[in-house]
Amino acid sequence: MTKTVSSGTVTSHMQANKNIFPNLSNDLPKNYGDTKVVLLPRDPFWAYSYWEINESVKSNLIKEYGQNILYVLRVYDVTDINFNGSNAHKFFDITVTELNENWYLNVPEVNRDWCVDLGIKLADGRFILIARSNTISMPHHGVSTVTDEQWAILQKEFERLVKLSGIERIGKSSFDVSRLMRERWEQLISMSSAQMPFSPKSISSFRPTAADSPETKLKSFWLQADTELIVYGTTESDASLTVEGKSVKLNPDGSFSLRFYLPDCEIKIPIEAKSADGTMSKTIHFEVKRESSKNNKI
Amino acid sequence: MKPKGYWCLVLHAHLPFVRHPEYNDFLEEDWFFEGVVETYIPLLSMYEKLIDEGIDFRVTMSITPPLANMMCDELLQKRCLRYINKLVDLTEKEIWRTRYLPEFHETAKMYEKKLKEARRVFEKHNCNLINGFRNIQDAGKLEIVTCCATHGFLPLKIHEKATRAQIRIARKDYEEKFGRSPRGIWLAECAYTPGIDQILKEENISYFFLEAHGILYGTPRPKYGVFAPVYCPSGVAAFGRDMETAHQVWSADIGYPGDPNYREFYRDVGYDLDYDYVKPYLHEDGVRRNTGIKYYRITGKVGLNAKQPYNPAWALNKSAEQAGNFMFNREQQVKHLNEYMGKEPLVTSMYDAELYGHWWYEGPDFLNYLFRKTHFDQNVYKPITPSEYLEMFPKNQVLTPAASSWGDKGYYEVWLNSTNDWIYKHLHKAAERMIDVAERYKNTSDQLKIRTLNQLARELLLAQSSDWAFIMTTGTMVEYAQKRTKDHIVRFNTLYDQLNNNTINEGFLGEIEWKDNIFPNIDFKAYTF
Repeated sequence: MTKTVSSGTVTSHMQANKNIFPNLSNDLPKNYGDTKVVLLPRDPFWAYSYWEINESVKSNLIKEYGQNILYVLRVYDVTDINFNGSNAHKFFDITVTELNENWYLNVPEVNRDWCVDLGIKLADGRFILIARSNTISMPHHGVSTVTDEQWAILQKEFERLVKLSGIERIGKSSFDVSRLMRERWEQLISMSSAQMPFSPKSISSFRPTAADSPETKLKSFWLQADTELIVYGTTESDASLTVEGKSVKLNPDGSFSLRFYLPDCEIKIPIEAKSADGTMSKTIHFEVKRESSKNNKI
Repeated sequence: MKPKGYWCLVLHAHLPFVRHPEYNDFLEEDWFFEGVVETYIPLLSMYEKLIDEGIDFRVTMSITPPLANMMCDELLQKRCLRYINKLVDLTEKEIWRTRYLPEFHETAKMYEKKLKEARRVFEKHNCNLINGFRNIQDAGKLEIVTCCATHGFLPLKIHEKATRAQIRIARKDYEEKFGRSPRGIWLAECAYTPGIDQILKEENISYFFLEAHGILYGTPRPKYGVFAPVYCPSGVAAFGRDMETAHQVWSADIGYPGDPNYREFYRDVGYDLDYDYVKPYLHEDGVRRNTGIKYYRITGKVGLNAKQPYNPAWALNKSAEQAGNFMFNREQQVKHLNEYMGKEPLVTSMYDAELYGHWWYEGPDFLNYLFRKTHFDQNVYKPITPSEYLEMFPKNQVLTPAASSWGDKGYYEVWLNSTNDWIYKHLHKAAERMIDVAERYKNTSDQLKIRTLNQLARELLLAQSSDWAFIMTTGTMVEYAQKRTKDHIVRFNTLYDQLNNNTINEGFLGEIEWKDNIFPNIDFKAYTF
């Protein structure tokens, strides 16, 4: 999936939601009145936890333990066990404030399973449980030490195969198009002297401008000029129209407009309109000549 | 002659569901229109031509449920045709404008030709590209896999029933759209954690794809690395990504799309030309944006105003040359692996489909040459689909793959960091509520309640699209992604309260059914399994 902007300068034109039911809330609730803690893995080394404590639970805690409650996340290593609250391999505490409501935690060991208790730590060291999270297995880090007899492979061969599989490119080459494109954009911007968007100088801004040529860079005074031609008109909206023998699509109101770069030249522009039933036609001819000369006075 | 190995090309075609009937003209809908014109039609049209010319090829594509639902949506079809017609108008004007500008005239003619061809293909399929892709699948050249219903990021869900619903609803939608059952699935962002395969098994899906380290870090060790699929303990097969082919295309420095002859994405007539001239082709707000008509080539590491004119013939030659290079490298890789492994390797190349055409303009030309050259010019490797491979080689190693994704750094950080972690509290709560009401009301026959429950499911699913978290991380269009997350959660919560309080507001329900109409035949009971 690639869903990004076509350019770095685009902003959404989405306005405020057209809400035809103004009495309905348009905001996300801050909390849902739950007392819970959730744990999510982010990568082999980090997990994320968020929690919520119901207001009445909170005030009961304050009533019982006072205003200065020390909230902690107790992180348990529960690898390969059915955790009952006291049989963890080990645990460590992270002190959090009531305001945090979420925390990124760095686990001390890879390839383990973890669970957290949200609780209170009392001055005497006692831990009062508020809520227990789900258990997560962290994403496996590194190649496995286990081999399958039926599919056995020599260590050296396996190392070579892992290399052939491009292990060192993981996370480098799989990055997203949008990021690649944004980096390219930033690089381009840093290299471009002109700011985007380009000044809408004219339709002929495609040509190298006088200001770009070495000759004029030496001098501070410069002039730049070019020409373009607009051929326009109107006829019956259902008529068919040709310009120089080529058919031209009419706007719904019968008008038309052609615009093009005009170099030094002499051109004939026949315009012909035919009525829808083919019985009538009108023709207009133009002859246009452009001839340029330069006069540089120093 | 028996090939020395196999090559499986997988293109992941996905866009988030963006459809705003409440506006006449909506910027983010362009993602879909640009995808249609620049990627989906060129691919489809190429497949059709290859079949017409009798050239055998194989390609595997995910067409995700949100994308499939957009392709089938009448409003978006109409708007897409409007978009194409406007571009055709612009290119006709461009033919005139550039008549005395030879360095741009050929490119203008190329656009006119391509856009008219795109319109022809689009109209041929009644503006519904699903019809076209289904034909190619039925012809046996293309294998379409499904994806999570709204590209939900499965490892960050905590309710198994919500995970299952992402698969079950996707599967049902696939059956409606493609008239058969999906054999495989592209897990959104290739995000996997052990256990997901069990759900796939129960939903009758036989294979999925993994980033390379999902296989390489699996337990026990994978004997053939990523060059043969493995079976998970559930019996579902997993195909690992080959990083060499990934690197050839993706690498910022040596990747194919960065060639100086290729079209420069960032110079567009929407910015370059006279304002009054391009205004009719911009959005209603009149802000200069990309139109898709671009006249310059990448040129080299130079600033935007030092870019040189694009030459369609040079670009085409380059794509042919690169296709030859890709083929040569596959031949070498397959020969080498075959000797080393003592059996036929499988090289699985996985890319975002939108890379081809939308980001890398010449990408479809590259694929076209690659399919043709692969067919005519070599016999070392043979293109294959995952299903064909598993039929041919049913005996594979069993292992438990490692949790992984194909996102930056290989795990879940792109979808879980300080820019987007706030969404999970709301997504989890909505999932918990959905599972609760689905169970409580599963036997109801009250039509209004059933409609409400179905819409609750749609709102939850749309909120779960991994795209929103992704966009918040990438930092462009963030407001839109935040708003979409918020809107769907607020709509969900509002409907949920109305259902519980027996105060369903039919006007409100009707309004959001009209706006969020993904999965027209959804059944909320998917949340009871």
